[in-house]
Amino acid sequence: MKIAILFSAGRHAASGRPAPVPVELQAIRLARELIGQAAGDAAGDAAGDLSGDAPGVITGFHAGPDAGPLKDALGHGLSRLVQLSIGAQDDPLPSLAAALGAERFDLVLAGRSGQGGEDAGLLPYALARALGLPIVADACALAAGPQPGTLSLEQALPRGARRRLILRLPALITVHPAAPAPLPFAFAAMRRGMLETREGVPAPRAAGEVEERAYRARPKLIAKSAAGASATERLKAATEAASSGGRLLVDPSPEDAAREILAHLRQIGVLRH
Amino acid sequence: MTPIMNPATPAAFCLSLVILSLAGLALALMARRARLWCAGRPVPVEWARGLRALPKRYLVDVHHVVGRDPYAARMHALAAGGLLGGSGLALLALIPALGGARLYWALIALAFAGALAGGVMVGRRRYPARPARLSGGRFQILPLLLTFYAAGGFLVAFDAALGGALPALAWPALALAIAGGLGLVLQIDRGPMRHAFAGAAHLVVHPRPGRFEGERATALAPLDLDAPRLGVATPADFAFNRLVGFDACIQCGRCETACPAFAAGQPLNPKRLIQDLAAALQPNATNATYKGSPYPNARAVAGIGGPDLPLVGAGAMIHPDTLWSCTTCRACVEECPMMIEHVDAIIDLRRHQTLELGALPAKASPPLMELRYADEPGGRALAARTDFAAGLTLPLILATGRADVLLWLGEGAYELRYGRTLRALVTLLQMAGVDFAVLGPEERDCGDLARRLGDEATFQRLAAENIATLARYSFSRILTADPHALHALRNEYRAFGGAYEVIHHTAFLDGLLAGGRLTVGALHEARVTYHDPCYLGRYNGEIDAPRRLLDRLGLARLEMERAGKRSMCCGGGGGAPVSDIEGERRIPDIRMAQAAATGAGIVAVACPQCSAMLDGVTGERPEVHDIAELVLMAVEAGSAKAARKDAAGKDVAGKDAARKDAARPPEPVA
Repeated sequence: MKIAILFSAGRHAASGRPAPVPVELQAIRLARELIGQAAGDAAGDAAGDLSGDAPGVITGFHAGPDAGPLKDALGHGLSRLVQLSIGAQDDPLPSLAAALGAERFDLVLAGRSGQGGEDAGLLPYALARALGLPIVADACALAAGPQPGTLSLEQALPRGARRRLILRLPALITVHPAAPAPLPFAFAAMRRGMLETREGVPAPRAAGEVEERAYRARPKLIAKSAAGASATERLKAATEAASSGGRLLVDPSPEDAAREILAHLRQIGVLRH
Repeated sequence: MTPIMNPATPAAFCLSLVILSLAGLALALMARRARLWCAGRPVPVEWARGLRALPKRYLVDVHHVVGRDPYAARMHALAAGGLLGGSGLALLALIPALGGARLYWALIALAFAGALAGGVMVGRRRYPARPARLSGGRFQILPLLLTFYAAGGFLVAFDAALGGALPALAWPALALAIAGGLGLVLQIDRGPMRHAFAGAAHLVVHPRPGRFEGERATALAPLDLDAPRLGVATPADFAFNRLVGFDACIQCGRCETACPAFAAGQPLNPKRLIQDLAAALQPNATNATYKGSPYPNARAVAGIGGPDLPLVGAGAMIHPDTLWSCTTCRACVEECPMMIEHVDAIIDLRRHQTLELGALPAKASPPLMELRYADEPGGRALAARTDFAAGLTLPLILATGRADVLLWLGEGAYELRYGRTLRALVTLLQMAGVDFAVLGPEERDCGDLARRLGDEATFQRLAAENIATLARYSFSRILTADPHALHALRNEYRAFGGAYEVIHHTAFLDGLLAGGRLTVGALHEARVTYHDPCYLGRYNGEIDAPRRLLDRLGLARLEMERAGKRSMCCGGGGGAPVSDIEGERRIPDIRMAQAAATGAGIVAVACPQCSAMLDGVTGERPEVHDIAELVLMAVEAGSAKAARKDAAGKDVAGKDAARKDAARPPEPVA
């Protein structure tokens, strides 16, 4: 199985310095574990051992003027990173579409949403359309599917819910932050990793088309309660939005509480009997 | 032939020959072991200097450590002195002029009598019950071999001194000496006697010769990041003098009783670790011969190794959890009579795990990642470091370009609890009119955490960037309340071109008080015990200034059983809080129990890590206060007293009020 992972020019949320986007590093781990499973290894072994890797099986792609700290992805378990050299104002889509179209990848992984600018999460959809691939968002676990050429993936839904999908490859999948944490960084693996620079497809965009702003963590939306409603109603709306069914018990006995929790877990299908 | 040229007795002459052949055998066995050391990486060693310094290093430095256990010191002096003295003299008796003299044999008998007494003392320590810290196995038969050899030698020499009056005793005694001596010599290769020659060699080629010249010599050695393989994977990756050091271990177990991770039931036992490293040097090695206390809650390992086989891993000698349990507190190094550098070995192994394999504990990886992209292990904005000082004026050095004292805030500044300490310190500096400034958003993490976790690449980058920042400003001293930052800036940046005079806030405040720039009222009736931070006490030898400072505050100072350079770690160093290896107890709980046992109501600390670890202990316990907070309390008590004195005009009332103040439980400062 050949896997491509897309890397965007991220910035650290607090320092504002160029940095890899964590969810894209998580994609490396998902890809490695998938390859490890396919090779019949225990997934953990394959993931933990950064020195032994099948080169060329997992390739990273970045379209931009400079790979910068993205070469650190090589220290997180990626063995080969291809930088498609384009201007800072160029649209990365044509370069990525050309590069991914030239080699046939079974699976393309991308981050869920970026950290501002053009890597705002639209690119994977545009790329899927350009390549004619199906796209599934928010994967948090990947496994080989029941038939050859299929993939079983777990999709992260709000409030911790998960949905398992079976998908025919090739496909493009975006990764959710609920996926396992990135593999720890290994300096020597980064040093050993292969960074390849190719000419990208120049695709200048009209200036001013995209407004760029520094990344800022958005406040959580609590409730859709109508403005001007009473405090009780807003509280009710907020707590109901956070609870999705179930009952509010005030100061219950431990037995009652445990019974209620079990009943709720059965209801939402976490417990089966 | 004149009578004087004859050997005193035939048995005595045979004893000399036996010792000669045993010495030959011993040399062969030593050579065999020493050849294994050549597997190690070559490093430049000042042989001449080491050889010249050997007697002093042994008689002064080693015995300074051994002498902390007076019984062991007497035992070792008698056993080693008697054994070497008696054997050496008996060997010289092959010179006819000496061998024929009865007085000379009396001298030999005396030496062997000393060795016999030492051997009996070795036995009394191990029988009937062997203390848990001592190893069994080959070590348990050592007293028998010692007493056999010494008793045999004594009787033969005694008989010779009497001119052969006891021939019936001499020949059986010679047999006894041969049995014991042969046993001892065969223990050179793998048994306890290896420590004698490996220990001497270690003293000659010691990797930190500065330790014998009054330096603390505790800075980690920089790693060449361009080397083909980073850190230590196999025994052959160690420098050869490190391998000599592992072989020097006599398994006395002092390290194991000092190790905080061992006490907490985490899978680390420094003695076992050194033994595993020493055993792995042998081709087709196993760890089966070790007969001391195991790693507590040991994780299963295959226990196989060799000079070119990996040391760490479930399929090797040492489980990774063992490495990551270490708090790098150096208590083992401080206690080791053989001057072994355990912490250096652990860091070398960690470097390989981190830099080559990326095999860190899961929770240790995110802080290193934040350090790479935000220069701060919590991933917080550097500008937020000064948030603790909201409401205080904190001069930035950027504004003026110079200051007398540069205040290095460190990692603790982000923490609410330690922010109170820094507020107290800043308030005191302002009261004393000190010309100080901070780097503010230009201060990056000092890199201590990254370096202890084996991420030398990040440490070296942070060090270079901090040194470049510091080079832009002019200041005479760096003041810090963080001993980890102090150690990095004072000792470890030197290798990267940053030489600074760095002073800890306890020494600085002590100076301010001594110079009369701050006046304190007494904090009466408070009983306080001082917890030495490892990186200040053991790493930098600063144990007096904090105590002097506490005494100036009029506090009743109580000492814990483990204090000063032999203090116990709080569990906060070496990245242990982020590695978070599971044990049975928590290290800070153990340390807090020791503090409570003194009866003190306050534990004085001088380090953000200690502050966080000890303040995290739950239940009934003494209060935790940084010394800066106590000084501020005392200064405020003093000024309150002065104010009242002015108002009331009566000294007596002022004293009462001050006493009432001190009786109150200490409040958060500032």
